[in-house]
Amino acid sequence: MKKAMLAIIKKDFRGVTANRRLFSAILIVPVILTIILPSIFVFLIHFAPDDPDIQSLLDMLPQVLQSESLELTVTALILNYILPVFFLMIPIMTASIMAASSFVGEKEKHTLETLLYCPLSLKQIFRAKVLASFLLSMLVSLISFCAMLLVLESEIFFLMGDLLPPSVNWIVILLLVSPAISLIAVTLIVRGSAKAQSVEESQQAAVFLIIPVILLVAGQFTGILILSAWVLLGLGVLCALIAWLLLKKSMGRFTYEKLLK
Amino acid sequence: MQAVVLQNLSKTYAGGKQAVKQMNLSLERGEVFGFLGPNGAGKTTTVKLLNGMLTPSQGSCQVFGIDPAQEPEKVHALSGVVTEHAQMYDNLTGFQNLTFYASIFGVPASEGEKRANSLLDQLGLSEAKDRKLAAYSTGMRQRLSLARALIHRPKVLFLDEPTSGLDPESAQNVNQMIQSLAREEGITIFLCTHQLRYAQEICTRYGLIEQGRLLDSGTLEELRTKVLSGATLHIRTDKMPKDLPFRKIGEQQFEMDIHSENEIPGIVRRIVEADGNIYTVSAERPSLEDIYFALTTKGKEEQQ
Repeated sequence: MKKAMLAIIKKDFRGVTANRRLFSAILIVPVILTIILPSIFVFLIHFAPDDPDIQSLLDMLPQVLQSESLELTVTALILNYILPVFFLMIPIMTASIMAASSFVGEKEKHTLETLLYCPLSLKQIFRAKVLASFLLSMLVSLISFCAMLLVLESEIFFLMGDLLPPSVNWIVILLLVSPAISLIAVTLIVRGSAKAQSVEESQQAAVFLIIPVILLVAGQFTGILILSAWVLLGLGVLCALIAWLLLKKSMGRFTYEKLLK
Repeated sequence: MQAVVLQNLSKTYAGGKQAVKQMNLSLERGEVFGFLGPNGAGKTTTVKLLNGMLTPSQGSCQVFGIDPAQEPEKVHALSGVVTEHAQMYDNLTGFQNLTFYASIFGVPASEGEKRANSLLDQLGLSEAKDRKLAAYSTGMRQRLSLARALIHRPKVLFLDEPTSGLDPESAQNVNQMIQSLAREEGITIFLCTHQLRYAQEICTRYGLIEQGRLLDSGTLEELRTKVLSGATLHIRTDKMPKDLPFRKIGEQQFEMDIHSENEIPGIVRRIVEADGNIYTVSAERPSLEDIYFALTTKGKEEQQ
């Protein structure tokens, strides 16, 4: 990768971290989704009275997913099947904040034209912008995952006296599905940002990308989809392919003239 | 090789506005070319066409032999652009801005810092270098933009109203810098302005445009020969012979239009022979402003 692209990525990173409002907006969603909400679940499971309905629901689960206590079974379900979907929201939300302003933000501050006068092609500038948002969302995802694991495992240990190892699904999600989905989202949002006339317009469009994930969340709560690691792997590969295609095709028809309009 | 060439260059915007009409022009290396015309004449559009920000509707242009419509990145590596729409980042300091632009132009980090410091120094911004751009005044921003455009040592510099918003002292400083860049480093300067008097001070050649059309181009001498060859003769004397076609413009002050300087000795001799005492004689040749107005009125008459 060219040093010039690296310089743009560094500059964009600095733009986010230096802006306290933007930075706290990026942090708040992961904190809610990976620390506060899961903690509430764990506490509820621990302190709620045993419900025979839940027991009968759990009886329907495949044998492998059932462990010795009801509490641990339910917690494991939440950790391995519901939280991963929440987790997918993080890169999209993070990306939507930074990526949405990538082009149109510069346009509003009259810095876009200056940037376009540099000896990088539009494709390279576009990729640098995508990469900056992508790296940020991956960084936030990774930190959130570590924080979540730390908080949840200690809560489970102190409340239930045991540790719950995350399933292999998490590895697939962390290494493949989440990066791929994040890349799709970032590419679409940055492309939208290049077409938009204002940051608000671009952000509003970006929020629509969360809808499919919200549907997944709803799905997971009404009837748990027990995806095997293999299905997830396939899904991840498919998303990665889409992301790659999008990244390759996205900037083809853009010209300086269209960007500056 | 010529630095900048425009061949039959035209640009019509999507809305139907014809901003540049069949322009033919070429600039030699090291020239300070003044591209002059009122607001909305098509100066900025031409700069954008020359940098590939716009695609020509007709004709073509080259910067050091490279077509900006085909390979804009290559043109950008050779050119520096200062326009009012090309701003820098408010959340970075002046120094950080310059080193950022140095790095996207592929200048190594240590070299970039060295150049940034020296440019800040030359433009009188050393004291403000660690201040965020948000705290800069318009004039300081303007000077920093010039530093930014020079950070990668371009071969051609496009300046759109470079001294608007500058106080007289910094304007003079910037002018000297522009002239020495052209003379000593051979940088070609394409300077757009509507201030004709200012252009006359620093440019070596001119292109006069109106409503997207190039009216004429050349050095001041060439333009005078082509458009307004005469001069105005001013004489202060206590006695003016009645038969000379002088206009009295004040106490002992007279002026008349002449076609060439060769007429002056004869006129002076006539006054002296008529017992007139001469205190001053001066011939004022037409300024760029006079030439521009002569050209535009000629254009209007032709249209009618």
